[in-house]
Amino acid sequence: MGRAGSGREIDLERVKPYADHLGDGIVQFSFTLPVPYGLAARKAAQELAKKLGFEHPEVVHYQRLTDGYTYFVMFGECTQTVDYASLSNEGFDIEYMSEDEIEVFASERIGRPIVIVGAATGTDTHSVGIDAMLNLKGFHGHHGLEGYRAFETHNLGSQVPNSVLVSKAIDLNADAILVSQTVTQQNLHINNLTELVEIVEAEGRRRQLILTCGGARVSNELAKELGYDAGFSKGTYPHHVASFIVRELAARAAAA
Amino acid sequence: VLSKLIAPARRLALVGLAKNTGKTETLASILRELAEQDRCVGVTSIGRDGEEHDVIDARIDKPRIVLQTGSLVASTGALMRTSGVAYERLAQTGVRTPLGEVVIARLGEQGAIEVAGPSAAEDVREVSEAMLGYGAEKVLIDGAIDRRAASSPAVADGLVMATGAILSENIEEVVAVTRDAVELVRLPKAGNEVSEDERVALPRQIVLNGEPAEIAALLREHPRASTFLVEGALGERFLEGLLAARPQRAGRELRIVVGDPTKVFLRHRGPNWYRRQGLEIEVLSTIDLKAITVNPVAPQSHRFDSKRLRELIEATIADVPVLDVLDPSYHAAPEP
Repeated sequence: MGRAGSGREIDLERVKPYADHLGDGIVQFSFTLPVPYGLAARKAAQELAKKLGFEHPEVVHYQRLTDGYTYFVMFGECTQTVDYASLSNEGFDIEYMSEDEIEVFASERIGRPIVIVGAATGTDTHSVGIDAMLNLKGFHGHHGLEGYRAFETHNLGSQVPNSVLVSKAIDLNADAILVSQTVTQQNLHINNLTELVEIVEAEGRRRQLILTCGGARVSNELAKELGYDAGFSKGTYPHHVASFIVRELAARAAAA
Repeated sequence: VLSKLIAPARRLALVGLAKNTGKTETLASILRELAEQDRCVGVTSIGRDGEEHDVIDARIDKPRIVLQTGSLVASTGALMRTSGVAYERLAQTGVRTPLGEVVIARLGEQGAIEVAGPSAAEDVREVSEAMLGYGAEKVLIDGAIDRRAASSPAVADGLVMATGAILSENIEEVVAVTRDAVELVRLPKAGNEVSEDERVALPRQIVLNGEPAEIAALLREHPRASTFLVEGALGERFLEGLLAARPQRAGRELRIVVGDPTKVFLRHRGPNWYRRQGLEIEVLSTIDLKAITVNPVAPQSHRFDSKRLRELIEATIADVPVLDVLDPSYHAAPEP
């Protein structure tokens, strides 16, 4: 059981959307139908919401978008629940920490500088992503891992061949490799990301090295497919990456 | 057909030369055949399999993976739960992936499952062993994208390779890429006939990161050596360095010995090209290639005639069956 701000108990095994009071299940949603604005359109939207499984659907706002198109904002009661409690125990959730919390966590749980090697690999000339994560300057007022006491960072820049990156990581006895790649639908970029993992495997270092990749289109699903330990996408700040690395290192140390 | 070809392999790896070469269709086909024979199988995946849509191109629908009651599977707890299929959790593996911790489960009913097992080769090996321990007669290890690590003889006893139209719009090019990949997988086993002073173990740094001048210096240091041992990854950068430095050795042939074919990384030229230049690549352990499957369709793009593609590949690559599991010919084919 969790506890809401008001002090009411929340059943984390049966979580529902919340609007006015806990458990009301109220959802606000919007859509456009390709029908002319009018009462028939309003009725159609209500019927559709019912078919979507919402109880007591209400049209709270609707307007003509252009000829033959109407936009709706709806309220409806969701009758479904999700089991948050067991999902949060499945080990894919990363609990983010602030920079200060990361420093404390690292000094207590790791107790030595954490060595991180990063690069934009292959033919990728864009170092902006890796610079934002690693360099002191960082971005949006969050400085990069270079500015943390917990980390010893090595930014190799852009267009780094995979074999060179792995060689440097082994020489520096790195804990983690950060790769930035502008992932497109062309296989070249994808294959370049998988090649790095395969070289690390060939060197027999896969279990010792934390591998993370970042890029505009990199999700955790893609990271799994590629064989990385985590994938970071838009909206990632250096402390997100740092949180993952220190927690993963601590988990590996605990398992060893 | 496939189930006969792979019968001797307890741990079978499926590797695609790229995404959408039909690897998961091949897996589904093997699963159907093994289900008909009432075999207990275990399934694990390097990436993620049985997902509804492709992770890179969401327009591409993927085949589902249907497992029978009693089948074993390695996947994350969250994916097992969302499958909605009844299962018993046999073990937490302690292997963490971006999609959660991997569990080993036994299905309580038939159903479609999203499979996401460990990615690291060592973990794949351990999870496969665990599933065999829980009673699986055969473990199928599905690859991801073009990843080969799990086909290493340290992990699997046999390999089925998937290739297809996605590799190129030019059918000859598809055949050529497949030929190079097969040459790589079937690198010859190294003999033991080389004397101590003729074989040199190479430092990792020079293989991964050596400049041409360092590689030339290495050859000068070992004028009598005919065999170089590479413990880890061997890539084109080093091979090209060797070729450039070779004239000073009057073109004498060189042999490079690596652990197994998954440690060799060639993008531009196949092993036979290097052999013709006098650089022989050999392995300590070989991979047993059981079959090649083809997908004549490139999603959202082009397609080839299945029979023509298979015939061209068969004409180029000897001694391995070439199959299209979705073609009517697959079920009509004579038993091997």
